[in-house]
Amino acid sequence: MKIRILLVDDEKEYVETLAERLRNRGFHVTEAFSGSEAVEKLKGYNFDVTVLDVKMPGMSGIETLDEIKKLKPLTEVLMLTGHGTIETAIEGMKKGAYDYLLKPCKMDLLLEKINGAYERKSEHEERIRKAMVDKLSTSPMSVFEK
Amino acid sequence: MEPDRIKRKEVAFFGRITAGITHEIKNVLAIIQESAGLMEDVLEVIEDSAFAHKDKFIKSLDRIRRQIQRGIDITTCLNWFAHSPDRTPVSLDLNETSQQMVLLASRFARLKNVALETSPSDPPIVITSDPVSLEMALFESIEILLRAIDAGGKITLSPRKVQDRCVLGIGYENAALVKEDFPTQISSSERWASLQQTLTYLGGAAKTFGPTPEILLYLPDSIDN
Repeated sequence: MKIRILLVDDEKEYVETLAERLRNRGFHVTEAFSGSEAVEKLKGYNFDVTVLDVKMPGMSGIETLDEIKKLKPLTEVLMLTGHGTIETAIEGMKKGAYDYLLKPCKMDLLLEKINGAYERKSEHEERIRKAMVDKLSTSPMSVFEK
Repeated sequence: MEPDRIKRKEVAFFGRITAGITHEIKNVLAIIQESAGLMEDVLEVIEDSAFAHKDKFIKSLDRIRRQIQRGIDITTCLNWFAHSPDRTPVSLDLNETSQQMVLLASRFARLKNVALETSPSDPPIVITSDPVSLEMALFESIEILLRAIDAGGKITLSPRKVQDRCVLGIGYENAALVKEDFPTQISSSERWASLQQTLTYLGGAAKTFGPTPEILLYLPDSIDN
């Protein structure tokens, strides 16, 4: 299955070009040009990784991250930042973002981080599945519980 | 409002505007980088025989990529510089400060055909100081040397400890081109007086040293000491 990426940045041409390059590498990429648009798209779809710019007009990167984690806690978030906003990226990591990248970033590094984020999400999902199986095997009737 | 506070406000204002602009320039560079990258991706899947000028395009894209990296390095450094007035005093790694100043002053040195580099200390020396004034002192020192020497040679910024004191050395290598009255020439200049003033503010002192002249900036561990 293709890794599903949500790419969020207010720089339209950056998002469009990077999205095309990621699609050429086999990713399923959805574009969003603001934090609120990203949140709307998240409501209707499960993404594996969100690549999120820290500095955007309107809903900020941190506010968007908060919403993402509220709506889809398993979706991993990579924060795109400049040198002047590294502190915001650190704050983001404290709030559950997987990692951050300095913009503009090299493709190799971006791919490495996306794959790392996807791996972490998969491991997390696997642990949840295992816990549910354990719960079923110890109390099978729990299936019928509301 | 006191003149000193107005000055600080002005510096902070310049910093804020410059930092914002570097952020914008980086966005431009990011778009150029991804567009060039996309062209490379496309070229990679085109057979050599199908496109006669493929080599020329690849070479041009490589040049674009190197210039983008150069632009990123310069804007990163400018962004770092623009954020200097944000807080004072702060912890400063003298290796890092020297490296950034080498990048920022490289154009001035290049115009004089002088190489500019750092010789980092191991372990790094960290002091608490005023970033803008320290950067200014380093730049003033580089400028003094650039004005006093002929073309060619190399200026090296070397943070080190001398008898437990933090020192930032700004030395010049190319003895053959050093004028005999070099130390006098330096210490009698207006810029030297300005450098001394900056060092006094930082709680330190500036001295010239040695036959191949070196400017030594003596800095306290902490600006408050």
